[in-house]
Amino acid sequence: MADVFSPGLLLMLMMSSLDWLSTPGSAFLFDRDQAKSAPLEPHFTECVSRDLETFRCWWSPGSFQNLSSPGALRVFYLRKDSPLSEWKECPEYNHLNRECFFDTSHTSVWLPYCMQLRSQNNVTYFNEEDCFTVENIVRPDPPVSLNWTLLKVSPSGLSYDVMVSWEPPPSADVRGGWMRIQYEVQYRDRNTTNWEALEMQPHTQQTIYGLQIGIEYEVHIRCRMQAFTKFGEFSDSIFMQVTEIPSTDFTAPLTLILIFGTVGILIVIMLIVISQQQRLMMILLPPVPAPKIKGIDSDLLKKGKLEELNFILNGGSIGGLQTFSPDFYQDEPWVEFIEVDEEEADSREKEDDQASDTQKLLAPPQPISDHRTIRCSETFRHPEEVFDHGSCYSADRLEEDSKVQMDAPPPGQAGDKESSTEFAERTPALDRCRAPPVQTQTGTPQTWVNTDFYTQVSNVMPSGGVVLSPGQQLRTQESTPASEHGAQTKGKQRDESGDMDGQRQKEPQFHLLVVDPEGSGYTTESNCWQNSTPSNSPNPGAGYQTIPPPPVEIKPAASADANRLPYILPDSPQLVAPVADYTVVQELDTHHSLLLDPTPIQSPPPCPSQPPLKTQIPVEYITPDLLGNLLP
Amino acid sequence: MHNVLCVLQQGLWALLLWPHLFTVSVPLDCRDDQASLARCPSISQEKLLDRVIHHAELIYRVSEESCSLFEEMFIPLPLRLQSNQGGYACITKALPIPSSKSEIQQLSDKWLLHSVLMLVQSWIEPLVYLQMTLDRYDHAPDMLLNKTKWVSEKLISLEQGVVVLIKKMLDEGTMTTTYSEQGAFQYDVQLEMLEYVMRDYTLLTCLKKDAHKMETFLKLLKCRQTDKYNCA
Repeated sequence: MADVFSPGLLLMLMMSSLDWLSTPGSAFLFDRDQAKSAPLEPHFTECVSRDLETFRCWWSPGSFQNLSSPGALRVFYLRKDSPLSEWKECPEYNHLNRECFFDTSHTSVWLPYCMQLRSQNNVTYFNEEDCFTVENIVRPDPPVSLNWTLLKVSPSGLSYDVMVSWEPPPSADVRGGWMRIQYEVQYRDRNTTNWEALEMQPHTQQTIYGLQIGIEYEVHIRCRMQAFTKFGEFSDSIFMQVTEIPSTDFTAPLTLILIFGTVGILIVIMLIVISQQQRLMMILLPPVPAPKIKGIDSDLLKKGKLEELNFILNGGSIGGLQTFSPDFYQDEPWVEFIEVDEEEADSREKEDDQASDTQKLLAPPQPISDHRTIRCSETFRHPEEVFDHGSCYSADRLEEDSKVQMDAPPPGQAGDKESSTEFAERTPALDRCRAPPVQTQTGTPQTWVNTDFYTQVSNVMPSGGVVLSPGQQLRTQESTPASEHGAQTKGKQRDESGDMDGQRQKEPQFHLLVVDPEGSGYTTESNCWQNSTPSNSPNPGAGYQTIPPPPVEIKPAASADANRLPYILPDSPQLVAPVADYTVVQELDTHHSLLLDPTPIQSPPPCPSQPPLKTQIPVEYITPDLLGNLLP
Repeated sequence: MHNVLCVLQQGLWALLLWPHLFTVSVPLDCRDDQASLARCPSISQEKLLDRVIHHAELIYRVSEESCSLFEEMFIPLPLRLQSNQGGYACITKALPIPSSKSEIQQLSDKWLLHSVLMLVQSWIEPLVYLQMTLDRYDHAPDMLLNKTKWVSEKLISLEQGVVVLIKKMLDEGTMTTTYSEQGAFQYDVQLEMLEYVMRDYTLLTCLKKDAHKMETFLKLLKCRQTDKYNCA
């Protein structure tokens, strides 16, 4: 068979290839080129099957109008199911439409059909290209029952999604599996002309995403058999539109309001915090007590700016502190100052002009206005005597009101050469049983009237108390040793007695240099004290211990004590011999060593009977190990 | 150009589906002997039928793409007869398979399955030949070669599936593949180049048609299995 047909096939191919140069042919399977030079002969316009079970063919007479009458042309078809098949006439004519209908009994699916037109006089108009297989000419009917449902509106309220669903064409036997159909959904904005086509898919529903609210959309669907090329017609269009939903307008501004409200509140809180910063800081972070002196910046102390400090302190002489110094801590009501009062120091000032600043700093406390100051009769003068202010001070000065001169340099510093001279001078003062302001390195303001801070410790109690030896020469000396760094004190009230030995001893910070009673090396209180300590009660008068920095000063209460203190008897010369050797402990250094004033050699300490210190005590301080050298 | 793009797109689809097919396809080389029962996973009849239908659908799709590809590449426009002339040149024309729906609906399940089996078996050998001939083309795209290769492989597995299905549904023994002998395909005829091309083109179009036939038969069968009274 192949041999028979191959030449035929070849011939036909040759003819077709020749025809290629001319018109592409009038087969309805291909695109028709209507512009033809030759007169158009009767031909088939289209053959279509809707359901793969039947099909129809339409013809036209072409230019041969004489053949246009019904029945002038006859349709013949050839179904190539066997080589022996014959041309048959159309089973069903529809002359109105020039249509030939093939029903299911005449339709074979996978077999090729060829169509032919014949006129009455057996003129055959046949186009080889008008052959087809039925499945290739299938154009399914459009789907039916289109409808849409709103799936979801976007949170912004501007777009929405829609689900479109439909039914397959009723003519297509999709459910039975006879045809496999896939659908193509197209939509467009009603005002535009371009259709948006979605992907082909075989299901009967599809989601359209991203439609805009307020716009009316038009949707239609067409279908075709799967893996085939010919589409059916489009279905009827449906229209969908979603108008704006008022609720969405409501939520968006609400969100904005919330956001701005929160931001505004935060800003207000920030402003409040910033404006009330100080107060808040007070509440949240209460300040830590620290020594503050009115008019002096504590930073100067920290950094050891002695020059500035001196300037401040000395500026304007008497009123220096008051006048020129900047007002620090003015606004801190809680700061309690220890004031150093320089009012009474006029006379002193003159004398002290030549005195060094250090000496001034180390000068004993100045009288305060509310002091009951008792001037001693003699004012010890020495140009270099720091403690020249020979006035005796009442002991009842209130500490709180005292201003203390800062002793910027701790007594132990090397710059204390002057202090050595001071001390040298001191003895004469001591001699006189004055109450030089003394050694308080701190210039403690306290002075006791007619009190002698020096006495001899006669015995040390096992409990730690110190027994002062009675009968020492009374010296009206101001002892300040007990008081110390006024600068640093906050104005505690301390009893001198309290300061002294016993109680002090109990305080860990105090070191009472206790040496054996006979020893001379111990610092005793001025032996001019009369001793008031008939009892063995620990006398505050005993030795001054160095007053450790924080402590205090002897307070005015001391004045009261002075009355009480047994040893403060200005006029009881019970002391036989003044204490010969004594030194004043200036302070404790960091190693808890005693910083002593060197015992003035020339001073004949009448009170103490101790032999004078044999060795020159360095001005700075005595370390405990050196102390042994001092002992006799 | 639009057609080319469509074809390429569908070709890509087929390529993407290949691994899926390999995973889907289960070696249905099950015999009744004891030794093979352990190897062969049992599968329900419905699932088997679904798989077979799926195979047939894909085979049809790939064969259609191959045909279009071949047509685009090698067949000039006027010669694209779309299987018009070569209708009775198809190798399977001699098979007693009805073509109209009414006739098909009158077929029993048994004949449906046997028809499908006949079709499948008759195409196995020509596809092998087709692969050989396509290699001789100068500019045959790899996609075309891969597709035809894929189709031939899938046909073999489809055959196995139909055999098992027959066994399950009809309780028949395995049938020997006798149909491939019919419609002898002539390989050794010396033809002109154009004839070569046209013969291959005819082969592809016939393949496409028969694949569609197989798919439709199987679908009808499925409809009958699931819903006997509503099937057309």
